Amino acid sequence: MTEKTNPKPEETKIGVYVCYCGGNISDVVDVEKVAEKMREHPNVTIARTDMSMCSDAGQSIVENDIKELGLTRVVIGACAPSLHEHTFRGTVARGGLNPYYFHHVGLREQDSWVHSNNPGGATEKAVRLMYAGIAKANLLKPLDMIKLKAERHALVIGGGVAGLRAAYDIAGRGINVTLIEKTPFLGGRMAQLETVFPTGNNAREDLHSLINEVRTHPLITIHTLSELVNIRGYIGNYDVQIRSQSRGVSGDNAEAALAACTQEVPDDFNYGLTKRKVVYRAYEGCFPSTPAVDWEHYDGKPIEIDGQKVIFENKKKTFDLRIGAIVIATGFQPYEPPRGDYGYDELPEVVTLPQFIRYMGLRDGNVGELTWKGHPVRDIAAIHCVGSRHLAGVHEPQPDGILNNYCSRVCCTATLHQVNELLDEYPNINVYDFYEDIRTYGLEHESYYTEASKNMVRFLRFHGDQRPEVAAAPEGDTHPVLVKGKDYLTNGLEIEVPVDLVILAVGMVPRPVDDLVDMMKIPKGDDRFLLEVHPKLRPVETPVPGIVLAGTAQSPMNIQESCNAASAAAAKVSVLLASGQVELDPFVAKVDLDKCTGTGDCIEVCEYEDAIVLETMTVEGNEVQRAVVTPANCSGCGNCVSACPHHAIDVQGWEVAHYEAMVDAITMEVEL
Amino acid sequence: MNETTTTKEPKILILATLSGGYAGADYVGQQHLNYTTNTSILPVRCPSMFSTEFYIQAFEKGIDGIIVMYSGTDSPFKGGPERTAVMVDQTYKKMGELGINIKRLKLAAICTVCKKPFLKQVNEMNKTLNEIGFVQDELADQGKDK
Amino acid sequence: MDENKLKADALVVGGGIAGMQSALDLADQGYQVILVEKEPSIGGKMIMLSKVFPTLDCASCITTPKMSAVANNKNIRILSYSEIQSVQKNGSGFIANVLKKPRFVVEETCTGCRLCEYACPVDIPNPFDLNIGAIRAVRVPFSTAVPQIAVLDMDNCILCGKCARACPVDSIDFLQTEKEVEIEVDTLIIATGFETTPIDAKKEYGNGKLHNVIDGLIMERLLAPTGPYARVIRPGDGKEPESIAYVQCAGSRDETLGVPYCSRICCMYAIKQAMLIAGSLPMADITIYYMDIRTFGKGYEQFYQNAQAMGIEFVKGKVAKISEDENQNPVVRVELIDENSQIIERTHDMIVLSVGMSPKYNPSQVYGVNVDEFGFVKSPTPNLSSTKTNQPGIFATGASTGPMDIVDSINSASAAASSAASYLESVRNGK
Repeated sequence: MTEKTNPKPEETKIGVYVCYCGGNISDVVDVEKVAEKMREHPNVTIARTDMSMCSDAGQSIVENDIKELGLTRVVIGACAPSLHEHTFRGTVARGGLNPYYFHHVGLREQDSWVHSNNPGGATEKAVRLMYAGIAKANLLKPLDMIKLKAERHALVIGGGVAGLRAAYDIAGRGINVTLIEKTPFLGGRMAQLETVFPTGNNAREDLHSLINEVRTHPLITIHTLSELVNIRGYIGNYDVQIRSQSRGVSGDNAEAALAACTQEVPDDFNYGLTKRKVVYRAYEGCFPSTPAVDWEHYDGKPIEIDGQKVIFENKKKTFDLRIGAIVIATGFQPYEPPRGDYGYDELPEVVTLPQFIRYMGLRDGNVGELTWKGHPVRDIAAIHCVGSRHLAGVHEPQPDGILNNYCSRVCCTATLHQVNELLDEYPNINVYDFYEDIRTYGLEHESYYTEASKNMVRFLRFHGDQRPEVAAAPEGDTHPVLVKGKDYLTNGLEIEVPVDLVILAVGMVPRPVDDLVDMMKIPKGDDRFLLEVHPKLRPVETPVPGIVLAGTAQSPMNIQESCNAASAAAAKVSVLLASGQVELDPFVAKVDLDKCTGTGDCIEVCEYEDAIVLETMTVEGNEVQRAVVTPANCSGCGNCVSACPHHAIDVQGWEVAHYEAMVDAITMEVEL
Repeated sequence: MNETTTTKEPKILILATLSGGYAGADYVGQQHLNYTTNTSILPVRCPSMFSTEFYIQAFEKGIDGIIVMYSGTDSPFKGGPERTAVMVDQTYKKMGELGINIKRLKLAAICTVCKKPFLKQVNEMNKTLNEIGFVQDELADQGKDK
Repeated sequence: MDENKLKADALVVGGGIAGMQSALDLADQGYQVILVEKEPSIGGKMIMLSKVFPTLDCASCITTPKMSAVANNKNIRILSYSEIQSVQKNGSGFIANVLKKPRFVVEETCTGCRLCEYACPVDIPNPFDLNIGAIRAVRVPFSTAVPQIAVLDMDNCILCGKCARACPVDSIDFLQTEKEVEIEVDTLIIATGFETTPIDAKKEYGNGKLHNVIDGLIMERLLAPTGPYARVIRPGDGKEPESIAYVQCAGSRDETLGVPYCSRICCMYAIKQAMLIAGSLPMADITIYYMDIRTFGKGYEQFYQNAQAMGIEFVKGKVAKISEDENQNPVVRVELIDENSQIIERTHDMIVLSVGMSPKYNPSQVYGVNVDEFGFVKSPTPNLSSTKTNQPGIFATGASTGPMDIVDSINSASAAASSAASYLESVRNGK
């Protein structure tokens, strides 16, 4: 980098471009006025506007201006830098300038979109921000990206269908994968289903076709009972620490231990409908097939196996891996209603849809009559949107203060799919379906709705602020439970439906992953699902480079959508790691050796190992100590910058002088 | 502005981290929520880079209020938030010495989806500045005293 | 290389948002990609849209940079204005025969300066604006087109030669003929997208003959800043409408139209358009007649609630009939589902039919892939790997596999790229 080629601030030739953003900016900000004001600036060679600067045509204008007018800096006012700063750096580079001779000013998210009530003020603010951008652009220096070797190895967190899909696709690209799963068995939520829409296939058969591909793939290593406990580093070079628990039993004594174990706990696989032993398999045919000890519930007492008393021991171990990229596929859990809501957890006749699916799966063969708790089931109520589409001011927020105002996407089709299967088997059962809107949106999903209607399911429509209520029927009634509500298909008629069973179509909430969120510094949305950078531009990426999302950790999705998202995440990982090299922005500390006197104050405040050290060098014949930065180890935080008494250190691209110049511009009085 | 407004507005500088306040400000925009236009948001990697001198100079140049919207515990930088807090503390002392009301500087942790806290900070700073007036009047008063 | 014979790793058919995303995800992994688009510009349907839900970003803000990224990617070659004629198996790969239609403009020399367009005396209905606005017979298809190369509509050309005289680089070639190009690739992605269901299919809705009844896509053009009038007016008389109604499922969930499925996008686009209209015509009354509101995606339900809060009226009812009064105001006859099937009639200034999605193209003959009864490509593994087809090495993505919105299309497109990359690797490793 030669500072000499850097023109003095007063000699720069700046091209300024203000984007209409297809109306998003120009609806509020007087874009032409802004450009006019820019032309008054002595360093501005040209100021233009365009309907969309980011289009190929818009970008070509910038490229041509650089070439034809000899621009030395480019400032573009457009949408948020997080969306198109990278795009425009490419434009500037194609024009023949160093890509870091560009500054992006956000005029949409931080101006037009927040000042729609004050167009004049928004225009004035745009001028101010653009002048600040010009002030910074004047001082920019040419920089080169830092090229680093990237580990061609991905970590996938979560062994449900999304994690499996992502792992298999990444490995398919020739990249090593380590898949970690918190529980002892792969399969996640999909294993708890019986048949899946729209194919009607057996869920576990489908799932195991994928598990078999994953477990036999030479590039994939699977660790069950394993969690991420620590992470350091950056894209291409994450150092992760994984903690594994042991299964407690192994090949020799596994079957005997399973047989001998007597301690029982509620079976989470069956959502507590049944009990299982603390030495267990999640289900017959699960992978790995070796049973495992449920450490959370094991009482620690010895179990007698072949005449010997055995106490299971959880041998935890941790190990380190160097990873290039990470896929988060931690999935969802069904919403659990608070006790008493719709009679849940109080009336034995109220179950959630996931519970009901397990109940149907647990029956032995085809039974002539469906029973629940020993009683024949003649009438069933299904209630939609339990834990979804909550309304502010009507529904209570969850204990974490968040209102579940979102639609959980899969429950409508899942409910009707289940109801139809039930009616195929038991055509005499009456089903009452309480809904607000039926959202069978997929290509083959609507047929579940039409089929349910043909099956004589009685649909009753509630309003979101007047949901049905479930109560025990008076003693001696024909049915144990009454569902009451208003049916708006019949003009808001008050209805009371006596039923034997109530199925709550519960929504999805993300698995609690606050530990990962904290460790990785990734954002959660208002709905507590993990948040992507942009739903269309970067739909599976987090703001942390190299960390991507797959499946229902991000939002409610069905299996198809989860697998697509997982494959998309795999594509992003492949793009990042295929070449074995990553390029990072050169925003790291740089020492001005002319000013450095070797005080070491910078090292004092630096938290990164080997990022900055004092080295001995010879200056004008004298041996002196000077600070030296190792870019690969520097995070570019700038702790050192404020510590240096001589202003001898700065973060490249983000220098204190830039901010001083921007403050000057901001405090300048602008007249429009 | 089209109508010539004689009422000068206080100037608010917001130093917002890319991993926190700046993304939070973008989020406020995506939600199309409104706040005042006297705000200039500058993106920063981590405000730990700013020394007391920087803040004081900004006030002297006519910035009436500064909100440092850092990432708090969400910061991707080790030791950055702590260092930021130290620098802000030092700046408070200096402001006291110079007779600059310390309410003009505010450190707030803003996350990437913190729309309400973001608006709260902006509104509160506006309220404060309406009460305590322009920084240059304050500095001029100090000059008279000496 | 001989320009009539091209070779690459992957062929992506269709340059809409899905095809572009698939091409980019493959090219960014280092594979050579050829992207074939039948229109003169890539961009697909998305580039025609105004703003997109649920963020209300302008559609161009998402589409045009992707178009630019495709154009500037050194691993992608675009063949615009070209159509796949046939595809043969070639070992584990394929040979595709492509017909390059004549633009009557020399691609290699045209600079997109538009002097031909300015010189052309012939105005024709603008296909980019769904024929509501006008455009010249020779023109760059639209301002952000990629490639920025003119195309001449020979059917409407009067051969006056003004364009040829205006062209500074002598690029007009009236004698240009179609060209056949043979493309050899190892894998192929079908991303042929969708068409909207026809506005004139339903007798009860006036067979497309009512003056002030339009479809959702035309409303997109009316709302788009790049659109023909840059504002919302009645097509019948150019009046600013004061009362606008949306009729949902006007081309979906309707056995009589042969479209029994839900088209997934119409609820959200109607709500979005309603919000945009409320922004540009604050005094207008906006009503949405619906059967079920299906705002199922991330952030969509909130979007719906915001629209309700803005005062947009949602009426649960089936629109049985649309007619018009003597002032050409459309009159809807609605069976109110929420009110005991009571029937009402209401007059609006303008009706938007929320038409659905249909493939309007059957890829089974060309590619040998299985399709469903509607022509959507059918995957043998719709849940675990929805982009796979029954032909190994051929993948399908986006709306060619079923109705989906942009977010879902983009994920599907990246998924197809993932599957295609795995296929390429397995072929190379001789598996």
